[in-house]
Amino acid sequence: MEAEGYVSLREFTEADAEALLEWASDPRVVRFQRRDAYTHVDEARRYIIDHVLPFCRTRGTAPSAASLGYLVARAHWGRGVATRAVSAAAEAVFAEWPWLVRLEAIADVENPASQRVLEKAGFTREGVLRRYVVLKGRPSRDVVMFSFVRGDGEVKPAEVATHS
Amino acid sequence: MEVTLRRFDLSDVDAMMAWASDPEAAAFCRWEPYESTEHLLAFIRDTVLPHPWFRAICLAGDSRPVGAVSLVPTADACRGELGYVLARAHWGKGVATAATKRALTTVFGEVPGLERVEAFVDVDNPASQRVLEKAGFRREGLLRRHYWHKGRVRDLVIYSFISSDLLLG
Repeated sequence: MEAEGYVSLREFTEADAEALLEWASDPRVVRFQRRDAYTHVDEARRYIIDHVLPFCRTRGTAPSAASLGYLVARAHWGRGVATRAVSAAAEAVFAEWPWLVRLEAIADVENPASQRVLEKAGFTREGVLRRYVVLKGRPSRDVVMFSFVRGDGEVKPAEVATHS
Repeated sequence: MEVTLRRFDLSDVDAMMAWASDPEAAAFCRWEPYESTEHLLAFIRDTVLPHPWFRAICLAGDSRPVGAVSLVPTADACRGELGYVLARAHWGKGVATAATKRALTTVFGEVPGLERVEAFVDVDNPASQRVLEKAGFRREGLLRRHYWHKGRVRDLVIYSFISSDLLLG
């Protein structure tokens, strides 16, 4: 039996379309996402097939920096799910991509909950970037930029307690 | 310092070699210095001429280019990335600042949907940081390990100039 609050990450499959639709159709969840909310499971299925599954394959390049994004269904807010998912994702991606040096994420200036997720997951706040993204065709938004670089959060030898 | 900006022409290749072949001018640029006009000609033909926004920097009253300034599209239509390079003979005279200021007065009108011009400068390039500050950019923060440049991972300073900044004069 896993501990309360345990989160695991796995790859998407086409069978996840219904579950994906549940959050991808919720305006509260997709408020700060570039795309409009989905209204039909076919949109969710197309997104998985055309965008998510190809994305999961090795792309033949080795970028030193990557960008992280996350969405959680409304029913699971307020319990640390996103924070644990982000921490798990950061650990996994730095392990799987030895060439990765920097992981970054942006959060809307009006989304303090998402900013707290990144702070609690150990990301460093770097600054406010003005008019950085366009959301759903509306005027552009200011965002806060966060990063986690390889080596962040690692316990340095001097900080390890020794017991005599 | 007065400058004008114009589109490049294949015939600019020799003037362009002055900075494109210079390792010092190219030190903080993404590209390696050019060794032959043949490769530079291909660059003008394949990248510069079809580019959405790439301009030659000319000193007032002189039609020969002394550098280049460009705006590169990003993942979002609202923001473009500004870059510039200047022949070393014209450093320290305010040319890059003047070219940047002139670019800012033009791009918001010429590039559809543009609201933000951003620029990334190496932490070890204070001269270029001053160019942007004098041109009215705002320093937004330090992006750690942001860029793998010529064999090393670099911290970059990010600057921006948004369309409403034009009203600040």
